[in-house]
Amino acid sequence: MERIERPATREHLETLIDFALRCAETEGFDKETLGQIRLACEEALVNVVSYAYPGKEGTVAVRCSPALAGGIIIEISDQGIPFDPLSLPVPDTALPMEKRKIGGLGIHLIRRIMDDVRYQRVDGRNVFALTKLLKK
Amino acid sequence: MAENISMTCAGGCAKVVLSGRLDALSAPALQEELKKLIGQNIEALVFYANDLEYISSAGLRVIIFAKQKISAEAKVYFIGGREAVVSVLKMSGLDTFMSIQPTYNG
Repeated sequence: MERIERPATREHLETLIDFALRCAETEGFDKETLGQIRLACEEALVNVVSYAYPGKEGTVAVRCSPALAGGIIIEISDQGIPFDPLSLPVPDTALPMEKRKIGGLGIHLIRRIMDDVRYQRVDGRNVFALTKLLKK
Repeated sequence: MAENISMTCAGGCAKVVLSGRLDALSAPALQEELKKLIGQNIEALVFYANDLEYISSAGLRVIIFAKQKISAEAKVYFIGGREAVVSVLKMSGLDTFMSIQPTYNG
């Protein structure tokens, strides 16, 4: 299991994403899937750096571990205000564009890309766990 | 103007060339550019994406913004997008309101 923790600011996004991708690469994902995992991680991390610590500073951690079934579990956690990203309404992607609400797309993409997404509030931390399985 | 965006506008047709990464860091610059088109009677909005490597929800939101704020009647085209980029557009349902095609004659 590997973990890094960085200040929750935009300047650190790349470092955090690269870390998750290196772990995913080790698990054997192909380039195309790594691109999708990058997107899911970026969406989740942008949410944390944008909203977790209104008006103050904090950190965000990324922890990677192999999934038992083959694949990776990427856990993104922070000590910010309690927020369950899965509580956001699912955007209606069938609505005509004029009526589309701008928002919720990031979490929608995460759900579409990953095989399992879970949120927990544990010991004062938001823990968002994203699982991607290797295709057999 | 951001270095990875260029925009030209003529005869009711706005052409926007995207390159590199359209993510949370670069999307605000694109939004600022597109705001210049508001009220300009745009009939067609054409995004050239041959050199676009990556798009995140921040980029998608700007495209939705463009459609909603510039002109609801404008036709929107997304030209030459790579497979990975187009798949993100489709996952988000943006293919329902804009025409994703390899080339544009106009």
